[in-house]
Amino acid sequence: MAVIELNGLEVRLANRVVLESLSGKLAGKAVGLLGPNGSGKSTLINTLLGFHAPSRGTAHVFGLDVRQQSRQIRAGIGYMPENDSFIGTMSGIHFVRYMAELAGVPAENALERAHEAMFYVGLGEVRYRKINTYSLGMKQLVKLAQAIVHGAKLLILDEPTNGLDPVARQRMIQLIREVRDAGDVNLLISSHLLRDVDETCDEVLILKKGRVAAICNLEEERRANRRFIELETVAASENFGEAVRQLGCECASFPGGRWKLVMPESIEIRDLYNIAAQQGVQIRRMNYRRDSLEDIFLNAMESKLGVARVGV
Amino acid sequence: MKYAAADLWSSRITNVLFFLCIVPTLISMSVIYVMNNDVIRLLLSGGSNAAAPKIAIDERFFYGMLQGQCWPALVLTAWIGPKLIAGDLANDALPTILSHPITRLEYVVAKLTVLAAFLSAITWVPMSLLFFFQAYMSPQPWAWAHIHILLGLLVGTMLWIALLSLLSIALASWVKWRIVATGLVFATVFVPAGVGTVFNAVMRTTWGNLINLPYIMVTLWRRLLHVSIPAMFERYELPTTALLIALTCMCVLCAMALNARIRAREVVRG
Repeated sequence: MAVIELNGLEVRLANRVVLESLSGKLAGKAVGLLGPNGSGKSTLINTLLGFHAPSRGTAHVFGLDVRQQSRQIRAGIGYMPENDSFIGTMSGIHFVRYMAELAGVPAENALERAHEAMFYVGLGEVRYRKINTYSLGMKQLVKLAQAIVHGAKLLILDEPTNGLDPVARQRMIQLIREVRDAGDVNLLISSHLLRDVDETCDEVLILKKGRVAAICNLEEERRANRRFIELETVAASENFGEAVRQLGCECASFPGGRWKLVMPESIEIRDLYNIAAQQGVQIRRMNYRRDSLEDIFLNAMESKLGVARVGV
Repeated sequence: MKYAAADLWSSRITNVLFFLCIVPTLISMSVIYVMNNDVIRLLLSGGSNAAAPKIAIDERFFYGMLQGQCWPALVLTAWIGPKLIAGDLANDALPTILSHPITRLEYVVAKLTVLAAFLSAITWVPMSLLFFFQAYMSPQPWAWAHIHILLGLLVGTMLWIALLSLLSIALASWVKWRIVATGLVFATVFVPAGVGTVFNAVMRTTWGNLINLPYIMVTLWRRLLHVSIPAMFERYELPTTALLIALTCMCVLCAMALNARIRAREVVRG
């Protein structure tokens, strides 16, 4: 089942169309939500949470309709907002416990779960301090703690590394990866930092002016990148190309000893070195195609709207 | 709700105000006890039956008590009402709170319930207890003959509690600083009252009292408890329907203010 399914979703706010005809299925374990400012990322998140009602079309989270079943959806979601959103006069543990109880965790378990969540995010030592006294990084972490405390099925993280220094950012990315790999939780991560999404997500939804610019399965994209190789050689003749083709690769030669190969799954890089050694060919440089998330993003931004799947 | 209540009780000022609000009840209870105990009355008057203090425990007594409890309730509301949601709004906690399976209506109702429970503890609960205390202490059958007092007390205080709760939460939701919100609660009650009085004087009318909340409430309480006023003042009275419509309008305005403000996300227009 798709984690998030959009069918012609349109959202109007203050008589302005903010999201228009969004369609697509997102089934990745960790989905990145990318787009420039004002592209509708936050509006999409708010719609999934039931804060904004769709004016047309539908959106489903785990098969539940956001219009009809927003309470059930919210029961299974952990949300970490972008900006400060906490009760500053409460201690960290008190706040996380409060949020756990709001999410439906029985009162007798909520405190224990809050302790676990605070230790998990690394705030165990400061859990009795008031949140107002926390640093920016700690505030981000306490927001993450309250999002995971009730064992959500879907974590929505809105700019989780916003305002963090490099060390804190790395810590947050590491935590997100751990959360992703630990249980059966799915993630939806909205960020304008491509690197964050690249490091944590296996699928991206790119929005542009309130419409889907691209949906890209990063895992498949990475696998495809690993199969496409560029070589720079010295003394490579057509025999080298023939030998490589006999391995099962597609290849083409270019002036200056440059070759481009598409390798089947069964072929290893070592096989290329063996052929080169047998034929006395020097491999001076070997590059995987680097169609990075940045390229995907820029292509999506340059393309006309309505272009959908990339790399699938 | 339990978090909101615990937060309120954690304040020393709240505790002090709460117990000050109980003081009129204790005084009234003492009066009821004394007025129903001939021995103590005689002792107080030095043995003379004629000089013994005599206060009738009737509509007027409970009307005075109602005012003695309800105006301190305004002070308590002005203090604790803003405190209930100021913490949530100061750091924009609403998106986080409302991302859980709780609706905006449930959130507001929970806050109002906490406030109403607080105000109940100093208004209709002690007054009802005093009513039953008087019924118990009275040598003659008293309760049934004065049941309209109990009903008047309940309806009068419920109206006041509903209005105060809505007013303080609605005002606090629009003001970031709690102390300003406290001042605003008082201002909203008394400034229109002054304006209404000026309007009455200038226009030679009494309809300006429709924005005079103290007037509206005192008049309603008096009518609910069947307390009469001198005939010469009756021509200055406004009809009950008009007073109730004015109260309803105030409540609707408060509800609209809450609806506009208690949101997970603000929609910026333009």
